[in-house]
Amino acid sequence: MTKQKQHNLWETPWGYVESFIIGIGLMIAGFAIEISASSISALTIKFPYNLIILLSYCALLFVAYKWFSNVQLIRWLSKVPAAISSITLVTIMVLIMGIIPQAPSDNNFVNLLGLNHITTNWAFLLILLVFLTNLGLVTIKRLLQFKASNLGFILNHLGLFIALTAGLLGSGDLQRLTIETRESQPSWIALDEHNHQVELPFAFYLNDFEIENYAPKLALVDNETGKLHFNEGKNLYLIEKGNSYEFGDFQIEVKDYLESSGRIGDKYAAVNEIGSPPAALVVVSQQNKTLVEGWISCGSFRAQPQSLKINDQISLVMTIPEAKKFSSDVSILTKEGEKINTLLEVNKPYKHEGWKIYQFSYDDTLGKWSNISILELVKDPWLPYIYIGIFMMIGGAIYMFWIGNKKLKPDNDELD
Amino acid sequence: MNWINFEYYFGFVLLFWLLGIIALIISYKKNSAIHIANILFFIGWGILISFVVKLWIQLDRPPMRTLGETRLWYSAFIPLIGFITFFRWRYKWFLAYSICMSALFLVINYLNPEAQSKTLMPALQSVWFIPHVLVYLFAYAVLSASCIVAMKGVYDLRKKLLKTSTIALADNLVYIGFSFLTLGLLFGALWAKEAWGHYWTWDPKEVWAFLTWMGYLIYIHYRYFHPNKSKQALYILSVAFIILLVCWFGVNYLPVANNSVHTYTQ
Repeated sequence: MTKQKQHNLWETPWGYVESFIIGIGLMIAGFAIEISASSISALTIKFPYNLIILLSYCALLFVAYKWFSNVQLIRWLSKVPAAISSITLVTIMVLIMGIIPQAPSDNNFVNLLGLNHITTNWAFLLILLVFLTNLGLVTIKRLLQFKASNLGFILNHLGLFIALTAGLLGSGDLQRLTIETRESQPSWIALDEHNHQVELPFAFYLNDFEIENYAPKLALVDNETGKLHFNEGKNLYLIEKGNSYEFGDFQIEVKDYLESSGRIGDKYAAVNEIGSPPAALVVVSQQNKTLVEGWISCGSFRAQPQSLKINDQISLVMTIPEAKKFSSDVSILTKEGEKINTLLEVNKPYKHEGWKIYQFSYDDTLGKWSNISILELVKDPWLPYIYIGIFMMIGGAIYMFWIGNKKLKPDNDELD
Repeated sequence: MNWINFEYYFGFVLLFWLLGIIALIISYKKNSAIHIANILFFIGWGILISFVVKLWIQLDRPPMRTLGETRLWYSAFIPLIGFITFFRWRYKWFLAYSICMSALFLVINYLNPEAQSKTLMPALQSVWFIPHVLVYLFAYAVLSASCIVAMKGVYDLRKKLLKTSTIALADNLVYIGFSFLTLGLLFGALWAKEAWGHYWTWDPKEVWAFLTWMGYLIYIHYRYFHPNKSKQALYILSVAFIILLVCWFGVNYLPVANNSVHTYTQ
């Protein structure tokens, strides 16, 4: 990794060895802060302080590039070894995040170094600062020497810089609330991430909550372990009346299927009540010989499930149906007395007064009979800037695909 | 039922491709046989594509949810990359590799039959689903191709036969693959905002997708500034591909996988 010429450590310009020593040194310092101080983080800075920090940081980068680029530290920060070493070290920190679950841990070492909260870990933040500073300096350099052929470079680097800084510093202003709404009741008290109550400037009135389910599936289970039998559960078939299915050498025919049923003796009949589960009449045969015939049902919060024993080892069961679609028909009631009707669905949020409102969840013990709907409200005033960054990078990616790599630099360490 | 009639399509695809590989081997002696090889590969590929189309119609949803379905797309894309690089740079070995790789993934799917499950959870029902997955799998196919080029490069290097054209091919593939990887990542972020309220939540799959992206980022920057240090670049490329494989298959087996929103195969 060192250069071909004889190069002594810390002889300027600093190369890869020095870059990695600085980067790793910063990370060690960061871990030392983790050990000694309780975890506070730069990420909870709120408006207007985050904006002030961002603007001063950008100004600082500009001043550093413009008037102090002959200072060894600034020169190092705007060159390749700093770029490659900081990309590599950030990657290593993220690698830790990808291996150690980011959740409370009972491992002392993990707790000591804060390896279970990498995104707010000082070691990560410090190396990220080197990465961002490097990225910022090279971007300023290219912006000031603008050429048409630099377009791809600027889209990629400036886009990433904008998205990262806006995302990092803006996270202090991000608000995520959840609110539980009940059918035919207004609700305006939401909860934040720490379960503190927040009063909304408007109320929700849930007119109707609806779930559309897929048909339940057929599965074979082991009588003793209760585990899915046959092909590791990859073969689960949606039940449809009149269809036949093959599980290994068993043939299973669905003679009847009721979407909503009630048990009468050892049979099921169509009923339509809250908590009435689906049921199916099935025939199991092997080599054209009928083995057993009977009803199965997945049950519900009110009804017992029913399985069908095929032999001593295995039984046939019905799985709980999966949701195909769930939606809330809500009215938003404003303080001015306005009433806005909207249908909230997964992937179809609604925008109101700077909030994005999402269909979040429902009472899953009641399933399709749930009469509550949980909505999520998100306010992220920095989002437009993140989107500017993202769209610049999309432009950069398309440019990169189109132009490809026409030119390679000769083996010198200049970043321009 | 399993994918309906997959075994017939599978059989015919493999038959055509096997004949194609034979023709390709003959072409080293008799050059004109390469045309026959290409026609055979192309027929096999056409059969494969028709299966993908059929499956999509039968499922009533894009066949992109399960691992088996993503393998099918991979099988469909990699020969395309083989054809394009062949017509552009005339690499026979690369064409043969892409066909063999595609066949290997078809065999894996044949040996691990998956149910023809029509269910698609609400979070996946979005206009972003198709572009996100297709762009990613195309990127994976291109980048795995770049990895095989890197391996050939390392081999050639040992024999002191490395040609600049080999590493130039790796570069071209990485640039194409990386731009698609970036698009996949960003489409995913835009989609996540619509579905979960936030564009980036450090979900385990996101973490590994980010790592993959960083891996290729290191390669691109290293190549850009040190075009003469081929050996290190080739090793970086191989490591980046290992990260990619962890992201695609391995995440499910890591301790972090518990709460990933990306595990759709029950």
